[in-house]
Parts: sequence; structure tokens; C-alpha cells
Amino acid sequence: MTRTLWRDHDWHLIHTDPQSPALHMALDEVLTHEVGAGRRPPTLRIWEWGGPAVVIGRFQSLRNEVDGDAARRHGIEVVRRVSGGGAMFIEPGNTITYSIYAPLSLIKGMSFQEAYAWMDAWTLEALGELGIKAWYQPLNDITSEGGKIAGAAQAHRGGAVLHHVTMAYDIDATKMLQVLRIGREKLSDKGTQSAAKRVDPLRSQTGLARAAIIDHMIATFRRLHGLGDGSLRADELAQAGMLAQEKFSSTAWTADVP
Amino acid sequence: MHGEYKMPGGKLIVVDLAIESGCLARVQVSGDFFLEPDDALHAIDAALEGQDAGADEHMLAAAIRAQLAPGVMMYGISPEAVAVAVRRAIDQGTEA
Repeated sequence: MTRTLWRDHDWHLIHTDPQSPALHMALDEVLTHEVGAGRRPPTLRIWEWGGPAVVIGRFQSLRNEVDGDAARRHGIEVVRRVSGGGAMFIEPGNTITYSIYAPLSLIKGMSFQEAYAWMDAWTLEALGELGIKAWYQPLNDITSEGGKIAGAAQAHRGGAVLHHVTMAYDIDATKMLQVLRIGREKLSDKGTQSAAKRVDPLRSQTGLARAAIIDHMIATFRRLHGLGDGSLRADELAQAGMLAQEKFSSTAWTADVP
Repeated sequence: MHGEYKMPGGKLIVVDLAIESGCLARVQVSGDFFLEPDDALHAIDAALEGQDAGADEHMLAAAIRAQLAPGVMMYGISPEAVAVAVRRAIDQGTEA
């Protein structure tokens, strides 16, 4: 396998109506598999959230990360994703989330650190065009002078890499801190005592509507890498729907690391 | 018992465990690190299960390393960093 470049691939965009958190988890698994098997072209998927969620990383402890009572009280769905990394607090309209499903050849020979920055170079360019000077802060954060903007995670499956990113557009920090347990040890080398203050969302930085930022990001990706319009195949959606129900809504998976 | 360690330049590693008859039991490693493939986490837990509670960091890290299949990729986590979190759980751990 030799290294490929972005332009070597025929990128397709998926941007559908809002979907449930469990279905999003399942779509990441299914679409990564489809790209790895060569049945789907490399794809950029923009997420629209059907409801509030806490998404914990593959290796995080459910009870250590999430206050289950607070999540239930606020009607927040708690799901575990297939990639590592940290917990995210999601409310529809408050985040911009996307996934890139690419053949592993796109990051062939790269270190983890290089691969993260490579997959999000277009995002940094898009943010720069919106007036935000953003950069990659290893291991997996996109940050700016004002604070953290986004977190990324990758997972390798078969012949494909899944790279997904959640960016803060707006944030209810009070609610987030009620639901997520963020310990002092985690913040020990971040130079701040406050998790809320670590994040500087895109809304305050750009003054733009969320949809306008998404439109701009899509345009930047299209200009740099090429991007055609695509859609989910019926069999992909059916498979993801089944996985959402049987795996990603199950206690066995969500509490896999209790 | 519960211990946490933020690996410098890496991610948070959390260890929950019990000590039974002087040995580590019900060991659960967790955190916001990255592992490929993902079942390597179970190998790490299994490597620590039954280790002497008096084992030092070097011994614990060696036990983890010995259990990992070739080709396992770690990002933001290392056997040494897990060993630090385990020692913290044993030495200063509070009942979770």
C-alpha cells in the first residue's frame, strides 16, 4: 500500500436530517467498514443531532465519566463511541460534528500525531478564513488563542480510518459540568482549573450562525480536496439502524467499561 | 480503590481495583487514551490481575508489556503510565 493524497480520492458528502445519538455511533461503524471494504467512496459526513447526548470514549469508565442521575434528569442519552478519547457533551445546535471515512493509505506511514493534523488541515484553513487563528494541540485538540475549539478521535478498522471531530459552537457549561465528571487530575497539565474556561466556542468567536459555519467548512473541503454530493444507501441505513438498537443502545456496550 | 495519572504529553489513565490476599483483583483500566485494536484494553486488565500488590512500577509495566500482542498501537498511554496509575490506586487509593 502506497500513500495516497486527498485528490487521489473521489470524496462524497453525507449531510442528512437529525439522527439519534445511537444511530450516529452505528453509522460511524458501518461507514468505516464500507469504505474499508471498498464498497463506498471516501466520505465526509456532517452530523445533525436529534437529541442531547453524552458521548464517551471507547476506553472510558461509564461511572467515572458520567453522572447518570443528572443525565436522566436532563433527558440526555449516554452512548459509547467506537473511538478512544474523552467524553463530549452534546446539545443539538451547540456542536458541529463531522466524520471522515478514508482508506488507510491516506495516512500511510504517518505517526498518530501527524495523522490527526493531516486529517484536519482543511478545518484549520476553514477556521482561518473565518478569522479564527486555530492550530492543532497534540494529541487530539484543535485550539485557539481563546481556548479549545474541538476534539478529534481516530479509529482504524479493516482498511479504513475513521476520523471524527466535535467542535463547540455554543455551550451550556453549567449543564455540562452537572453531567460530566471532570476530575482535577485531568486538568493538571492544562494550565487551568476550570473545564468550562478551557472551551471557547465558535459562536462567540465568529458571530456566525452554525449553519453558515458548516456551509463554509463544506466549501473549503470541496475547494481543497474535491467533494461530490452523496447519500446513505438504504442497506447502510438499515444495518446502522439495527446496530443502533442492538449494540449502541445496549447496556452491554455502553457499560463495557463500567 | 481508585488511582488516576495524567501522562505528561499524553492522556488520563484511570485504574480501579481491589486487593485480595495481597494481589490485585477486579482491575479496570480506563481513560481518554487511544488503543488499536480496542481489545488490547482487556489484555492490559488481564496482565494486571493477580499481580502482587507490592510490585513496583517497573514490574507492573513489564507485566503489561509481556501481555500485549505484537502490533498493538498506543497513543496517549504507555505500560509505564498505567503502572503509575496502578501504584497510585494501591498507595493512596480511596474506596470508589
